[in-house]
Amino acid sequence: MSTGPGDEQLRVMVVDDHPMWRDAVERDLQQAGFDVVAVAATGAEALARFKAARPQVVVLDLQIPAPDGVEVTREALAHDPSARVLVLSASGEQADVLEAVKAGATGYLVKSASRAELLDAVRRVAHGDTVFTPGLAGLVLGEFRRLADPTASADPAQPQLTERETEVLKMVAKGMSYKQIAERLVLSHRTVQNHVQNTLRKLQLHNRVELTRWAIQQGLDED
Amino acid sequence: MTLANAVVLNLYRAENFQRPAGGVLCVVVMVAWTAFAVGAYAAPRRRTAGLLAADLAVAVALLAATPVVKGEGFNATVPGFWVAGALLAWAVRYRWVGGLVAAAVLAAVDLLVRQEVTQANYGNVFLIVIGGPIVGFMCGSLQEMAVQRDRAERSAAAAAERARLARAVHDGVLQVLSLVQRRGAELGGEAAELGRLAGEQESRLRTLIRTQERTTDAAGAAAGAAPTLDLAVELGRLESRAAVSVAAPATPVELPAEVVHELCAVVGACLDNVAVHVGERAPAWVLLEAFPDRVEVSVRDEGPGIPAGRLEQAAAEGRLGVSGSIRGRVADLGGTATLSTGSFGTEWEIVVPVGDPRG
Repeated sequence: MSTGPGDEQLRVMVVDDHPMWRDAVERDLQQAGFDVVAVAATGAEALARFKAARPQVVVLDLQIPAPDGVEVTREALAHDPSARVLVLSASGEQADVLEAVKAGATGYLVKSASRAELLDAVRRVAHGDTVFTPGLAGLVLGEFRRLADPTASADPAQPQLTERETEVLKMVAKGMSYKQIAERLVLSHRTVQNHVQNTLRKLQLHNRVELTRWAIQQGLDED
Repeated sequence: MTLANAVVLNLYRAENFQRPAGGVLCVVVMVAWTAFAVGAYAAPRRRTAGLLAADLAVAVALLAATPVVKGEGFNATVPGFWVAGALLAWAVRYRWVGGLVAAAVLAAVDLLVRQEVTQANYGNVFLIVIGGPIVGFMCGSLQEMAVQRDRAERSAAAAAERARLARAVHDGVLQVLSLVQRRGAELGGEAAELGRLAGEQESRLRTLIRTQERTTDAAGAAAGAAPTLDLAVELGRLESRAAVSVAAPATPVELPAEVVHELCAVVGACLDNVAVHVGERAPAWVLLEAFPDRVEVSVRDEGPGIPAGRLEQAAAEGRLGVSGSIRGRVADLGGTATLSTGSFGTEWEIVVPVGDPRG
């Protein structure tokens, strides 16, 4: 694993309640030249240290003592929208992963991913890319299908994917790499990347709108 | 309440008393005993057989004293309905048996002290005999229900705690298995083999947990409805195979059980085919998509693909083989199965129409 330029400045925080695992990830990141500015075992620790250490990338386990990973994602990104969250989850809990992505996480990796995959994912997330697994692509695709179902809601503001975005997302879900997708659709790697990012952005935007609407409704109900 | 009733009635009928002093004594005894009994029954440990016997004895004594203080041929006994207190205490403590015994004793004494038994007397006595056991029986049922409810609450709490512990244990095991897998792959050699085995077990356990959680969630909701299964969960089980990745929506895809079984069998056959033609550990991806009117399942591998015309050739030779069986089974469900192959590998697209997979 080569140490790319700029990695030394990359400030990373590791959040996991399993010390063994946390240490392993921390060591891998340090050996690769990243600056691990903080580690945390609980959601409360994570939020406190996030504000103090200002990491660029948070490598986050969703299954942590309260507040949970989804909440940490939301709060951390509200505090510093330039930070990136890479979810590293052993449990494969689909609904949680989807919620974390809606809350703004831009990467998802299962813990069985190799060291090289982890380092690559941290770099890519830090550079603003999205890191998708086929499983996550399937979840996002399913979520858009659900939102698009006219019987589920009559909201004209539902986010929709373009045909191209759907096509790209389906290919990711079927396990194709961005490079393979680019070749098959005769697009640039960058364009494929953008399509994938757009799908997430639409979902996150929709989630924010929903949250705001919900908050307003709650406020009105209280009056 | 019954005390007040008895006291007032006795005052009202004071002229009926042949021996007013005895009557006053009886009323005083009733008031005193009631006060004592209320205090005594308040604490569970004082609710002894002795207290209950004394309670009944006082009631009986007051009944028996009636002819003495009121003279022969009286109409109402001194304690009147006050005896119901002792009766209820017995019924509550000793269930219907206690109620019956106390009622029988009170009824017998009541009837014995009277010279003649009128219709009204008989009615009152009969009510006592009936009421005692019934109140006792109801108390028994209530207590049994309380015990059962406590037991149900305890077992629910125990189940929740077990589930929590299981999650913690599973999470820990998953972490270790993932770590072994990662480290093993880095170390190479025999460690790599160990790592690979750990990885397989990890994905198997992960699938199991996910399946369990979804089925317990769905079990409550789907109880009583036509047998349906969540296609996403059932397909998820295939992930326990080596190098198979399953992508599905986060929301359940409920379909009739037989459709789900058939689709899983078809996808399983596709994956078997991958294992045979591409390799035992060849990666394969399953994608499930749910639409209001249909479900789409695709199975892709990165093998060399099937040369054009080979399937047709096989069919012409009378060997229907795997592709024929897959197409046939999907057609039986009213759907279509299309095979595409190329530089991207081989991909089965299975489309099956449904009512509403989410409804």
